[in-house]
Amino acid sequence: MIHLKVTNLHKRFGGNHVLKGVSFEVNGPELIGLIGPNGAGKTTLTNILDGAIKPTSGTVYLGERRIDQFPPFEVARAGLGRTFQVTRSFRRMTVLENLFVPALALGHARGRADLTERAMEVLEFLTIDHLRNEYAQALSGGQQKLLELGRLLMLDPDVIILDEPFAGVHPGLMEVIYAYIRRVNDAGKAIILISHQMDPIFSLCGRLLVLNFGDLIADGPPDEVKNDPAVIEAYLGAEEEETA
Amino acid sequence: MTRQIPNIAGALFLGLLVIFPLIYNGADYDYVMHILITGFFYAILAASWSMLSGYAGQFSFGHMGFMAIGAYTTGLFCHYIYLSPEPTGLCAETQLFGQWLVVVNPIGVTSTTLTQDCLRQALEAWGGSVEVTPMPVLLGIVLGAVMGAVAGFLVGMLVLRLRAAYLALFTLGFSEILKATISAEIDITRGQAGLELPPLYASGITLFGTHFGPTDKIPPYYTMLALLLVCLVILGWLAHSRFGLFVRALREDQDAAAALGVNTTRYKVLVFTVTCSMAAAAGAAQGHYVQIITPNMLFLLQMSLVVAMAVIGGIENFVAAAIGAIILQVVLELLRNSFVIGGVEIDMTIWRLVFFGLLLMITLRFFRNGLIAPLIDRFRRHGVAEETVAGRASSITGPDTAPAGGPHRTEAPD
Repeated sequence: MIHLKVTNLHKRFGGNHVLKGVSFEVNGPELIGLIGPNGAGKTTLTNILDGAIKPTSGTVYLGERRIDQFPPFEVARAGLGRTFQVTRSFRRMTVLENLFVPALALGHARGRADLTERAMEVLEFLTIDHLRNEYAQALSGGQQKLLELGRLLMLDPDVIILDEPFAGVHPGLMEVIYAYIRRVNDAGKAIILISHQMDPIFSLCGRLLVLNFGDLIADGPPDEVKNDPAVIEAYLGAEEEETA
Repeated sequence: MTRQIPNIAGALFLGLLVIFPLIYNGADYDYVMHILITGFFYAILAASWSMLSGYAGQFSFGHMGFMAIGAYTTGLFCHYIYLSPEPTGLCAETQLFGQWLVVVNPIGVTSTTLTQDCLRQALEAWGGSVEVTPMPVLLGIVLGAVMGAVAGFLVGMLVLRLRAAYLALFTLGFSEILKATISAEIDITRGQAGLELPPLYASGITLFGTHFGPTDKIPPYYTMLALLLVCLVILGWLAHSRFGLFVRALREDQDAAAALGVNTTRYKVLVFTVTCSMAAAAGAAQGHYVQIITPNMLFLLQMSLVVAMAVIGGIENFVAAAIGAIILQVVLELLRNSFVIGGVEIDMTIWRLVFFGLLLMITLRFFRNGLIAPLIDRFRRHGVAEETVAGRASSITGPDTAPAGGPHRTEAPD
């Protein structure tokens, strides 16, 4: 049973209080949207969950293990994987090699043939199997997004954070990403989806977390959240400000 | 078959190098052999630096420093430590496996003999009744490689958080500090006067039924060639293992690699350890070949030469870097011949470096992965993509979405 527990997370960069006591839990294979205006603290939260930066205070537990002091590779091995807002494929490595990295790092593969077979299954699902021997730098931006998602499938984590997976992607490839998210979620993985595009968030997610200036201002079903006055104010501004 | 062309060419090139000393009989035999031996030395440095900087992206300017650590380790080892069946009673010594390990006094700048002070006094007192044994050169080279690995490990640990220019500056600083230390510790290293080393084969060696003396070129030729091959085999094995995959991921994006479960700290330190060990082994062997080492081997120009050789050969392919080093070493020597144009003598001892610099600039501008590596890559990736990226993108998303203007191949390679 997947259980991610974030408790009273604070992060300060000098005098800038970026996260102010964020707490939430992920129980089971939930599909959660994490939204908020620019500067809300979404990326900082993601970086703390991933181990890239340490919180000023607070804890993160994945199952029974406290992971907030782990380096990123141990967080990945503990079962939390992520993609990046700006695609970070290994550009001068082939598509297949990109997929081999997480599988070999975690020792999932049982042999060369098994590894290749699994990688090909992933690439076929993502419709980029024909590019297996191309260098990643030869792929379009959208295809590189798919490649990044493919690496996560090879990592096979319990909790997946997708940071802006739809940004700059053509509608055709967006369908592939939609299918990816649904399939991975159906396979029992918890997904935290960060996006500025509300259509996919509302059509995919059963729960939304809303951050605003480091505060978690809403946590609930999308219909409830979108009518929450605090959320409306965060996105549209206070009524007085609007009319001013 | 096309993909095998680099292997076939490599085997032929290696075969030529193996038989060359046996078939070449020019009057300048020793000179030509010396050029090739030095070429093999630079090839080890360029190939190991290529693994460190080209594969792993750890752009180090300290490689010659590790080479010097190897050379000075074996130099000091052979200078200061002897085996004696009897205790001298004068030197620092300890018993080891029934023998006495004797550590002699610092050599100083004026000494020109291998036996210093306390040991000389003991030998005179014994009057020839006791024979002391210098330490084996091979053990010195192995120790040099080990010391290089230890130093590489320590530097690797220190530079974990450094990237790009900061890493380059740190390693440059390390090399300069090492040079200053060697220069300053005159009593131990003889400073700029240089430390003399025993030859690779002090008593000569018999090869192919022929006995070769300590100054013959064939034994060091094959020794350095063998060392180069051992290094290339190890590098090849590493490059094709998960080590190679992970260090390339490290080069491409350290944070992304870590997020995918790669222990980037371990592989960063490992790649420093392995490649610095190779540089040190090369330095130790070359030191015994030329029989004198000085802090000048740490000049920035020497490091630049290794970098240039790797860049011109192909920084992301250690075999190309090694071949580039050998070819450039030969070419640079060929260019030493001055000539006259219209009564004006062109002094090529100076102009050859200009040629070298121009070649480097042109390579960096037009052939970023060197001159040899792209050739190998072209054959290796023959027929890899029959279907183009753009074409497939069109089939998925419609013709108007095919990526435009990117680095995509529009036709399958030859």
